[in-house]
Amino acid sequence: MDLSLYAREGEREFVELTRAFVRKTVNPMFGGDAPDGDLDRVPSILDAAFEVGIAASPRSGMPGFEYGIWGTSSDNPGGVRLSAILLSIVAETCAGIAMNLHVQGLASRVITSSENDLPEPPARVAVALQEGHTPPCYRALLGQGGRSDEGIGTRAIPAETGWVISGSKSFIYGMEGTDAFLVFCSTAEHHGGENPGCLLVPAGAQGLEVRDIGGRTGIRACGLSHLALKDVKVAPEHYLSSGEAFSQVGQAVCLHWLGISAIAAGNASGALKAAREYAAVRYQGGTTIEEHPAVRKLLALSEARVEAAFALLLQTAGFASGNADFLRRCAITKLMTTDWAFSAVTDALQVFGGYGYMEDYGMEKRLRDAIVLKTTAGSRNYMETFISDAGRGEIR
Amino acid sequence: MKPEALDFQAGVDALRPENASKHLDFFGKLLVDNREMTIWEHDTRLLPAGARIWRRRARDFARRYIRPDAARADSLPREYDPRPIVSQAARKGFQNLLLALPLGTAFPGSYFFKSASFQVAVVAEEFAAESGGIALLLMAHHLGCAPLLLSGHVPTILRHLLPLYARTLRGRPEIMAFAITEPGAGSDVEETEGGARARLVTTARQVDGGFVINGRKCFISDGAIADKVTLFAKLQGEGLESWTCFLIEKGMEGYSIGRQEHKLGQRASDASELILDDVRVPQRNVVGSLRSGWANNRNVLNYSRPVVGAMALGHARGAFERALEFCRNTLLGGKRLIDYQDIQIELADMMIKLWSARALIWHSCSQFRCYQSASAAAKVAASDISFEVCTKAMEIMGDNGYLESRGAESLWRDSRLTQIYEGTNQINRLAVIEHQWAEMSGSLFSG
Ligand SMILES: Cc1cc2nc3c(=O)[nH]c(=O)nc-3n(C[C@H](O)[C@H](O)[C@H](O)COP(=O)(O)OP(=O)(O)OC[C@H]3O[C@@H](n4cnc5c(N)ncnc54)[C@H](O)[C@@H]3O)c2cc1C
Repeated sequence: MDLSLYAREGEREFVELTRAFVRKTVNPMFGGDAPDGDLDRVPSILDAAFEVGIAASPRSGMPGFEYGIWGTSSDNPGGVRLSAILLSIVAETCAGIAMNLHVQGLASRVITSSENDLPEPPARVAVALQEGHTPPCYRALLGQGGRSDEGIGTRAIPAETGWVISGSKSFIYGMEGTDAFLVFCSTAEHHGGENPGCLLVPAGAQGLEVRDIGGRTGIRACGLSHLALKDVKVAPEHYLSSGEAFSQVGQAVCLHWLGISAIAAGNASGALKAAREYAAVRYQGGTTIEEHPAVRKLLALSEARVEAAFALLLQTAGFASGNADFLRRCAITKLMTTDWAFSAVTDALQVFGGYGYMEDYGMEKRLRDAIVLKTTAGSRNYMETFISDAGRGEIR
Repeated sequence: MKPEALDFQAGVDALRPENASKHLDFFGKLLVDNREMTIWEHDTRLLPAGARIWRRRARDFARRYIRPDAARADSLPREYDPRPIVSQAARKGFQNLLLALPLGTAFPGSYFFKSASFQVAVVAEEFAAESGGIALLLMAHHLGCAPLLLSGHVPTILRHLLPLYARTLRGRPEIMAFAITEPGAGSDVEETEGGARARLVTTARQVDGGFVINGRKCFISDGAIADKVTLFAKLQGEGLESWTCFLIEKGMEGYSIGRQEHKLGQRASDASELILDDVRVPQRNVVGSLRSGWANNRNVLNYSRPVVGAMALGHARGAFERALEFCRNTLLGGKRLIDYQDIQIELADMMIKLWSARALIWHSCSQFRCYQSASAAAKVAASDISFEVCTKAMEIMGDNGYLESRGAESLWRDSRLTQIYEGTNQINRLAVIEHQWAEMSGSLFSG
């Protein structure tokens, strides 16, 4: 499956640029003993991504500001679609690197689409949406009748000079060396009401503790942490929303789900390619295994699922907008594409027989990444409830 | 609580089966089972006495000895010393289960009326629920012993199996491994038609007083730590039909361990390459008769596949239990996850699947002889169910599911292997059909 076929006229050069970036910088990560590739190379890979403009930046002079993954060109559906394709291309080789680019782009997008201009946007930034077991601000997105009426737990209180934040955020993916976090809070307004708001918290802020999450199954090339915020002071100009914070949350969640879907589909596409190549050279039963109907069935189902994942992903990206129905579509896309992608990867691994279980062949890494993508940012039960609530018009 | 809520709760309580059945007549009450009893206990009571006793012993052993080692054995397999747990298991009789008392430790009732695998299978589930790697470490030993027993060759049993069991009981356990797979022949040594075309390299040449073996085996569980290996080789100048099983002993000249694989799960047990470079094997180490290897191998798989199914079931049960604990302890919107109906439906689905896998496994080894189609079916069903249930367990836990500290993800990694070894699930499906081929044109299940 050639992902560049999904690109439209005028988009091919971005596809080629991304492919060249992957060939030059991501491919060399692999080949050694480490099951997730040489993770020491990740910082230099990300530097290169900023240099060539694949990584988005919230700074207007930077190469990725407009056409990086989720750069400002994602203002329109065409840009969203292209970013999704580029993410998939990177994820065909390494889902963890793609995750870095995705979360950086997502945070950049929140900053660049905000009405308030940040005086000096940070270079590397991550979005802190999730709290506890509850995936991305579900609480904030639900009106009446959802699973919770508690609102966002992390609160920002207006102070004499800016804001004071207390609370916690969990499972925050971000580049190593993240300069700042975009923390979605419940903001107590001066007039007494509460609104979701987004504040930029520098990584070194007093009262902010960034805790490493410990051992995990996959997507290990991307940092993952919990945040604990205790009376963290934030300057007034770091308050990013002005009344439209709610749609900011919605937009961030939409892009997050699309990004995860794109990475999952790309990871599966990479697994399928590897399985095809292997099936053409492995000899069992007197022939190459690609001749056995049992293997053909695995490959065919894997291919069908990868294709279906891309069809849904790109169709949804084409509907990109700021309304609740887009949110519902993104939820459906996350639910289905990560599920199809996971099945496609496990079938592709099966084609390798025992070799698929060994670290050297890279398939076990793809499987570990696939399960993380399936469970992160909204477990299946959560997505089902969300879709059902959205379908009943309960998402504002 | 408000008065209406209290009324409603009282109404619900009255309708609960345990309360409602108080209104039944005496004999009616006798026919209702409302005992507060775990599924585990219910199922255990279904077992014949011997298997019942081993199931209880295995659960206690797994909790006491395997659980504390599980995380370390998974994360640092190369540093994990397997000998202490093997010795402990041997002392408790878990390594001698292929023979009935007094020669082994299996109970004769369950042994002669069910298959020799039955008691091994109930133990396998318990061990695997705590750690896939340690379970394989202990179970691969039975696989290594099986050719000695299933050869049916009395001198082999007397010469090799009985002394090995006696030493084990005396506290000097020996670890056995089983070696059929070669780099160029994986599925081909598990399946008839592939077998006929197999490209085998491991070859035995007859010499004075025995054989000289050359070749390589790969992916052998416990290969690096095994004291002895039942290893299959073709005779020089012949094909797979000449396959013969040999007992290879550590220290034999020319026998060495090659590459040890790094694998996704079941890490406490090594998967190693065995290198045979002019290894001289005495005649007495020929297992069974010459050219009986292929038949022996196929039957070993028949006895062993239900055990692999049971290990798969154990992984899934372990992951389920961890997810259940998570649902009990996690609050969402002021309510425990387990109190949500959609979560209950997921959990129920998982339980139903676990139960059906166990039923098929116990069915497949509940006759004196394990047979190909039922064994392969049990292995396929249980391993597919296992991976599905483990995946669901992780999904229910959301982001927490993929944290190593939660314990489910390692069982998920362990579980994936059960769809691959002892023949991939594709090859096992073909085994189901092959065995019933003659019946395929007629009625299969209706007799
Ligand atoms: C961790 C681990 C431990 C193991 N332990 C042992 C052990 O202790 N002892 C031992 O001897 N072996 C052991 N094995 C080997 C294991 O049994 C084989 O890996 C397995 O049988 C598959 O063989 P293969 O890996 O060569 O895959 P292949 O045979 O190359 O299969 C690749 C793919 O082709 C398919 N295929 C192959 N042939 C056919 C056919 N004829 N028709 C249809 N489809 C076909 C398979 O289903 C699979 O999808 C172990 C393997 C692993 C991974």
